[in-house]
Amino acid sequence: MIQLKDVSYVRLGSPDLESAENFATACLGLQVAERGRKALYLRSDERAHTLCYSEGDARDQTVGFEVEDEASLQDAASTLETLGHAVHAGTAQEAEQRKVKAFIGFRDPSGNHVELVVRPERSGRRYFASRDAGITGFSHIGLNSTDPVRDEKFWTQVCNARVSDRIGDIPLMRVNAIHHTIALVRAPQAGIQHINHQVETNDDVLRSYYFLSERRVPIVFGPGRHPTSGARFLYFRGPDGMIFEYSVGVDEIKDEATHRPRQFGFEPTSFCMWGSKPAGMALPNK
Amino acid sequence: MNNGRATRLIHSVCYVRLAVSEPNAGARFVSNIFGLQIVADQDGEIAFRSDDRFRTVSLVKNSADSASVGIEVWDETALEEIGRRLRELGFAVREATKSECQRRYVQSALLAEDASKNRIDLVVRPARSGRRYFPPRDAGVAQFHGVGLRTIDHVRDIGFWRALGAEVSDWVGDIAYLRIDGLHHRVALYPSQRNGLLYAAFEVEALDQIMQNSYFMQENQVKIIQGPGRQSASRQIFLHVEGPEGVIFSYVNGMAEFGEKPRPARQFPLTATSLCNWGSESKDVPELSAQG
Repeated sequence: MIQLKDVSYVRLGSPDLESAENFATACLGLQVAERGRKALYLRSDERAHTLCYSEGDARDQTVGFEVEDEASLQDAASTLETLGHAVHAGTAQEAEQRKVKAFIGFRDPSGNHVELVVRPERSGRRYFASRDAGITGFSHIGLNSTDPVRDEKFWTQVCNARVSDRIGDIPLMRVNAIHHTIALVRAPQAGIQHINHQVETNDDVLRSYYFLSERRVPIVFGPGRHPTSGARFLYFRGPDGMIFEYSVGVDEIKDEATHRPRQFGFEPTSFCMWGSKPAGMALPNK
Repeated sequence: MNNGRATRLIHSVCYVRLAVSEPNAGARFVSNIFGLQIVADQDGEIAFRSDDRFRTVSLVKNSADSASVGIEVWDETALEEIGRRLRELGFAVREATKSECQRRYVQSALLAEDASKNRIDLVVRPARSGRRYFPPRDAGVAQFHGVGLRTIDHVRDIGFWRALGAEVSDWVGDIAYLRIDGLHHRVALYPSQRNGLLYAAFEVEALDQIMQNSYFMQENQVKIIQGPGRQSASRQIFLHVEGPEGVIFSYVNGMAEFGEKPRPARQFPLTATSLCNWGSESKDVPELSAQG
């Protein structure tokens, strides 16, 4: 079984790195770690980077997960190949671009680009935000799935993800104590549906709501509260249509051995217990 | 704060009586929309509960004995002391008649006016209810919290409240947050062109209820005057909604305690961030906006 430790980074293609940087710093509040000619590295916590924009097609979207060591990486590669997934062994130069020791790349059953990485770099300097959004770190992603039941099996049986809760057939899955690191979202094609950063307090969620509204950033869902994880949230749209989320207060699953996933009905109150309705953002289809 | 007494002179803000031209229409808002429980409809005065008190809100048809704010006084001795002090300072004070006390569901009362002619009822032994509070909808109201009052003479009006034992916790411009118990404030005085009640605030259980009520109001097309927001000085989260005939009804939560340690009142500038540190603004109510 492939033991995912945590989500490590997201890599996004963008035809316009300048707009991406403007949004990431002036609106989202990330710190520029490094600005290359064709790549922009952004920090959100103690890691050297958690988001990388590279010049290219906005449909190029990749999520990286950390595994224990290089032996685990080799095991993962053979597991995936046995199951018929084409595995790309990262070159030294590609590893350097990702600020990791080694990595492999593959596609999940829906066709999402996934990378497994070893020893992603930390930074010696603490994270220093470009605006006071209260970000404490990159935390999870919403991942498109063309077949959530099939993909749940992949993430929980081939990998070590566990289902924390379900809304209809949509699983919220954890790879550590945090309620979810991967939220599957039914969609017609592969892709990253949203990128979550945690913030310090409720105040930060509400302040950002007013801050982003004033700057005409489209708020697509919230401010709201997920009854599943307990998190207070705000979803908004960034460059190339990517949706970003701030949230605070995500539950931890304290008792790994006895936790049973709860079933929530597929209805609006299962996504927001405060009564906010998505606007310009598709909820996971049933 | 107790002015050398073993107990405070006043104990709580215990009710608001609102003068409206259409009490029945107002009552539909207070119960169906805001979520308070109707408990009585007598002599043209509709009474509502929000907690274990018999009533905390009344809607009164405009009349000579209409709008007022009720302040619970510790006991009869404290009431006498307050009467003496207010008369000394030249404020209008008179004893309530038996029928005025009955209308107010209190044992005895002094009916006073501050310098702005806001009517303040100083009451002893307001009625409690033996039955628990049972609201018509799940708005999460926990208790009546306090009031905001408009003032046209804030120097003299602060003198009025100080005579009752209240102290200024903080200033935003000349807006004064007045403390009468351990909490940051229960009464706030807002300089204005006119007198009257600005808002009646009701504490809800948590942020969840502030936000649920915010979406509930949007869905029911009730005008939100300001919020969800957070007062910078008191850290109180609030949602101000438009109630009957211009009075604001507010849901609040999370007000800071003043703390044991004495400190001078802090001065905040009259700016939008002093009034709400989340960034909400009031466009239409001048007292709540930073246009001083």
